[in-house]
Amino acid sequence: MAERKVVAAQSAVHLDDLCRTYERDGQRIPVLEHISLSIPQGEFIALMGPSGSGKTTLLNLIAGIDRPTSGSVEVHGINVSALSERALAKWRSRSVGFIFQFYNLIPVLTAAGNIELPLMLASLSRKQRRERALTALGIVGLADRAEHYPRQLSGGQEQRVAIARAIVTDPQILVADEPTGDLDAKSAEGILDLMQTLNREFGKTIVMVTHDPRAASRAHSQKHLEKGVLLEASP
Amino acid sequence: MKWMPFILRHLQRNWIRSASTASAIAVCIFLFCTLQTFVASLRGSLSQGTARLVTRNSVSRFVSLPYAYGERIAAVPGVERVAAVNYFGGMRNVNNPDSEFENYAIDGEKFLAMYPEYMLSDAEKKAFLGDQHGCIIGRALAEQFHWKNGDAIQLTSNIYRTGPFDFVVSAIYQTDQVRYPGTDDAALFFHHKYLDEATGRKAGVRNYRVQIADPRQAGVISHAIDDLFENSDTQTHTETEAQYSASVGVLSGNLLLLLNGIGLAVMFTILLVTANTMSMAVRERHTEIGVLKTLGFSARLVLCLILAEGALLGVFGAAIGLALGRFLINLLPALPVIGDLVQLFPRMNVPPAIAAAGIIIGLSLGLAAGLFPSVFAYRARITELLRRV
Repeated sequence: MAERKVVAAQSAVHLDDLCRTYERDGQRIPVLEHISLSIPQGEFIALMGPSGSGKTTLLNLIAGIDRPTSGSVEVHGINVSALSERALAKWRSRSVGFIFQFYNLIPVLTAAGNIELPLMLASLSRKQRRERALTALGIVGLADRAEHYPRQLSGGQEQRVAIARAIVTDPQILVADEPTGDLDAKSAEGILDLMQTLNREFGKTIVMVTHDPRAASRAHSQKHLEKGVLLEASP
Repeated sequence: MKWMPFILRHLQRNWIRSASTASAIAVCIFLFCTLQTFVASLRGSLSQGTARLVTRNSVSRFVSLPYAYGERIAAVPGVERVAAVNYFGGMRNVNNPDSEFENYAIDGEKFLAMYPEYMLSDAEKKAFLGDQHGCIIGRALAEQFHWKNGDAIQLTSNIYRTGPFDFVVSAIYQTDQVRYPGTDDAALFFHHKYLDEATGRKAGVRNYRVQIADPRQAGVISHAIDDLFENSDTQTHTETEAQYSASVGVLSGNLLLLLNGIGLAVMFTILLVTANTMSMAVRERHTEIGVLKTLGFSARLVLCLILAEGALLGVFGAAIGLALGRFLINLLPALPVIGDLVQLFPRMNVPPAIAAAGIIIGLSLGLAAGLFPSVFAYRARITELLRRV
């Protein structure tokens, strides 16, 4: 028990006997079964597996946008699964950056406006929000696209803006769901380069779901899921 | 306030839909304000008219009564004063029927004693009563035609063809729209005696205004007056001034109910339309709402943002409706049929209380329309919202 606590304290993410079951039409469908995993701080990990294996569900649980049926999720020592909805929302706004496959930018806001969104929840002045948004845009290499709307950007640029939005609050952990899944090879390489930079230079712990072995090869380690079960050894 | 640009951006996203929704609410509030202003004017008129009766020819209000009836009516128990009133139908320009405005021949002294809503100082009253060609005019009329005390006016009647008739403005009467809402301040009153003499005593009396001591006795006194002339050649029909006003406009007793019913039906319809539109707008943004929640927006904040969108649309629509109401209500008298009705209630203007109610209703409509989609967004789980891509 004491050993588990030590491991959890040292880990960025610690999953303990995690299960997630959905109910559909009265049927219980197990999606994740008894997942235990520790992800050290500063790690870049790729979650792989076939469709329906539970990758995205696991990512959602780590990001605090879903709750486990049993077991616990600890992120930087905080038992995320025990937080109230309100506390969980607050925790997400400060501690997690989420990168979606389809970018999910708000179309009526400019790039800078999109990046400012998470900062709206903090006690910052308009000027401070703008400064931080521009800094984040600079990090992803789009300083000159601040006033562009998503429709005026390419897919790769949109994903960069989405990454800037994910890092603007300086979260401890970044979770990415197929971040290159909707991009051409060149743009995908650029995004993966950027994620490596964020991991290497800014020390962000990154958990990335991907189907793409080339994308997974950029991670420090790979974990494989199959039918909701975490395989012991990477193939 | 920091969320205002965010909310406005979303409203601008599909501006045709937002504009349509705001327009629907605007129409609703316009109808509400116009109908309620009319109802308020009608109620004002009704409340003022209870202590006064109108006796007219039972055949038609366009057929005169004999001069002698005035004294006989005055002798009926419970009657305090009787004043002869004839609508004059005076036009400024004989070749232009549209130049007709409200003008009446009255028994000056008795009429002014019965109608405190037409306010004159003692000196003004004295000046008017002392000049047979004198007339008093409302402030709105004075402003409209740039008339002032001492000005000479010539009018030609479309009823009494012996004119033209010459008048001198003796005074400009004041009105108090708070104490006496709906009082006409765009009318001209002159001496019945002048009309009488100018027409060779052929004008007769179109109706007698009868002031009674106890409004509760209005029915009894009306019957008593009509009974008085039951066996004469010219029979009378007596009713309260309110009933008279209503009958002039062919208003049924259920008009208020009807108008309020129309207003409610319109509001309910607009609510359904707006609610549907808001639901569609939010349904299209399920993923976005999921993203906002993922970024750490609490369910309550998301609910408030969607409600605020509805509220903003509602208030915006209500403001347009109110502005339309204030502007168009002045044009109503020029409309056929409706204009005749509305002219019974001059100086209709949307009162502040109705304007405030209009804004509150617009706000409530917007909030009610936003309620269902906002509650959905509040309750929906992030994973469900993100799955609806």
